This record gives sequence, C-alpha cells and structure tokens, in this order.
Amino acid sequence: MSDHLQSESVRVDIALPSLLQSHADGQSCIPVMASTLQGCFDALFAKHPLLQRHLFTESGQQRPHVLFFHNEDNTRWLDSLNIPVREGDTLTILQAVSGG
Amino acid sequence: MNAVALLVGTKKGAFVLRSDRSRESWSIDGPLFKGWEVFELTADPRVEGKWLAATGHFVYGSCVQISNDSGESWQQVEASPAYSKDAGFELKNIWCIQPSTAEEPGVYYAGVDQAGLFRSEDGGHSWELLDGLSGHASRSEWMEGAGGLCCHCVRIDPKDPDRLWTGISAVGVFRSDDRGKTWQLRNEGLPVVIPSKEHPGIGSCVHGLALDPQNSNRLFQQNHQGVYRSDDGGDHWQRIENGLKEKQFGFPIALDPHDPDTVFIVPQESDEFRHAADGKLTVCRSRDGGDSWQPLRNGLPDHCFTGVLRKAMCTDTCAETGVYFGTANGQICYSRNAGEEWQILPFTLPRIFSISAITEA
Repeated sequence: MSDHLQSESVRVDIALPSLLQSHADGQSCIPVMASTLQGCFDALFAKHPLLQRHLFTESGQQRPHVLFFHNEDNTRWLDSLNIPVREGDTLTILQAVSGG
Repeated sequence: MNAVALLVGTKKGAFVLRSDRSRESWSIDGPLFKGWEVFELTADPRVEGKWLAATGHFVYGSCVQISNDSGESWQQVEASPAYSKDAGFELKNIWCIQPSTAEEPGVYYAGVDQAGLFRSEDGGHSWELLDGLSGHASRSEWMEGAGGLCCHCVRIDPKDPDRLWTGISAVGVFRSDDRGKTWQLRNEGLPVVIPSKEHPGIGSCVHGLALDPQNSNRLFQQNHQGVYRSDDGGDHWQRIENGLKEKQFGFPIALDPHDPDTVFIVPQESDEFRHAADGKLTVCRSRDGGDSWQPLRNGLPDHCFTGVLRKAMCTDTCAETGVYFGTANGQICYSRNAGEEWQILPFTLPRIFSISAITEA
C-alpha cells in the first residue's frame, strides 16, 4: 500500500459486545472513518468517549480480558496499532473467554 | 407518597424494591445495568430523585453513574474516579459512594480498590483523588483482604463535615479532620491480622463501620476478629461481645436511626467458612450500645449455608424500624419490627453486594 493510500481515511465497522452498547447509544456496530487501526480507536472514542475507560486502563493499557480483532487478526499479535486499514475492514471488540 | 424503596446492588445488575409503609408486599424493578456489577446503589438524601451507582465489570472496569429521576434514566460519568497514569495504582472497583452532609451540597466521596478515596465537589461529575490517604506513609505495607485492597466505606460527622472516617481491608480505620486532606490511623485496641514491620498501627481488618448519627464520637465496627466500639472518635476501640461468640466474625453492622444504641450484626461462623453457624441464619441485636447482644431468629431459616456481605444490610426510618439484609445467595430477609420477626422476600437475585433504604416522606 502506498503512503498516499495509507493516509486516506476509509470506512471501518467496529462491532461492540452487548454490555458496552449502552455506552454507545445502544449501537452494536459503529462505522468510523480512519486510515489506521489507531485512527479507528481515536474516531470511536471521539464519538463515544465513555468507551475508552472500558477498553483501556488508566495507564493506557488494553484491559487484560478485552480482545480486539482486526478482521481475523488479534491485535495483541501486532507490535503497534499504527497499521493501515482498508475500506470494508472490521474491528471487533470482544470479551476474552475468561474462565468457564 | 408514603413508601419505602430498597436499592439493591448485585453481582449482575441492580434492583429496586418498593412497598408502602406497611411493608407487607413488595414490587420489584430491574435489573438496572444488566450484566454489570453494582457495588453500590444509593440515593442522596439531600436531593430528591438523585441516585448514584458504582458499576463495574471484571472485563470492562468501573465507573460512576448518576440518575436525577429516581433511577428512570442514567448518565455514565465520563470523569469517574481514576488514578493518574503515574500514580502507580490501578482502579479495580468502586466500592462505595457517600454523599456528604447538607452543609456541603454537591460533595460526594467514592472509595475504591486499589485503596484510595476520591472527592467530588460538583455533584459527582468529576472526582479528585485524596492522595493524603492513598499516599499515606504506611502505604507500602498495606495488604489486601479477600475482597481486594478496598476502601469500602466513608462515614462523615453529620455536624462537622471536616471530620470523616474510612475503612480499608485489611489495613484498618483512618480518620481525617480536614475534609480528607490528611489521614491518621485509628486502630488502637483492635487486633492485628497482618502484622506490619514499620507501621504497627495497620493490619487490622475492618469489615463494617457504623457512626452514631447522634453522637459522632461513637463508632461501631464489625472487624475480622470481633465486634468493637469506640467512644472517642476512633482513638481507642474496645471489644463488645457479651452474648456473642468470642472474636465474632461477620461483615455488616447497622444502627437503628431512631435509637443508635440499637445495633444489628449478622454473625458468621469464621473466616474459613463465611456462612451462618450450623446453617442457622441469625441476626444479633444489641439494645444497649453493644454492651450485650441477643440472637434473633424468629422467621430466619435453618439449613442456610450462605453469608452476608459488608454492605448488604440497612435499616429504614419508618416508625417501627425496618431491618433488611441480602445474602450472597440472592435472598432478602427483612423485619418490620426492629428484628423481632423476620420474613424472606420471594425473589432470588444474584449475589447481593449492597442494600440501602429510602423512606419517602
């Protein structure tokens, strides 16, 4: 992908777990315009600032039992969220299967 | 409307139970905050219809929520209590929200795990850390209890809001005489469960703390290792177990608002078992400020192997005092006559964390 394309904002759909939908006006899917994964989070928190507290700790770390999937890829595998996104990508926020 | 409402915080949401003053039959609404833990749901007696909730989830963290219409609608507080990035602590749960006195409208306190206390001066919409407590000189030796390193209660002198007490498990009682800026340990006379090398005043595990609303030098404490009273604002504590088992274990402690010499506890077998002794659910009541205790069992069940958590007991202000407690199994037991007779409400809720009562005028 060229530098030009990386900086171009595209639509990404962010899927929310049901427990967090009440903090996003009841929406289960929130479309954002961004050029990187980090940009997707920035756009999400600009629209729904209450979500930031529930996905990241005070020190800015991803909460340990929260998972983010960029399409099929767990973002914990990434070195950085500053990677480009493509039109139609999805970012799925999940509760990790913790116990049970 | 002449009515009583019970605000019940549970492991999975909050519930509101209502009755008229006869308290014979009850309706139930909920869950509010479905799926979220509600450590505290409380009404501000200074502002009609203003309720506050401490909600949380082990995955998604905690926040304060505010209602101005008696729970019909809620607003999550974006600037809820939070440690700064460099504080060195993590906010795991918000354990309590305490409105201050009428002299301080708009002021609230919130106690959290990891232990700290926050103060709001704008109606609960923003919160400032009281770092005189979280940064106390003894902090490096604070040890958590089974429920975490939780600052679980705040008691405020109704005649002097400069003066307040808080309890931290398993650290002990602290008092501030300057609205929470600085804090002094107040554990003399209490047993130590976790000895400290350098700060002998810590290591006492306060489970429940009650302040006499008519005499703010008098406090009662259900401790990990017994039941105690202070008559000098927490400077000294004495064991009050005449009629109780020695070193009586339990969590909640509540006073009759009409007669603060009347004290209620719910004894549990021990810290190893944490349920009613022999399965016989029992409330113990003192009528003389803790000098002697009598067991009350009329209507309470046998074969009841559950416990009652520290914030899950309260009293109402009806002419004949109502006493309520919720179990870790989700039952609510209540008395309409100060503990003489007990009934169990026909609801099974999730694990009950907290109960508070509103008695409407």
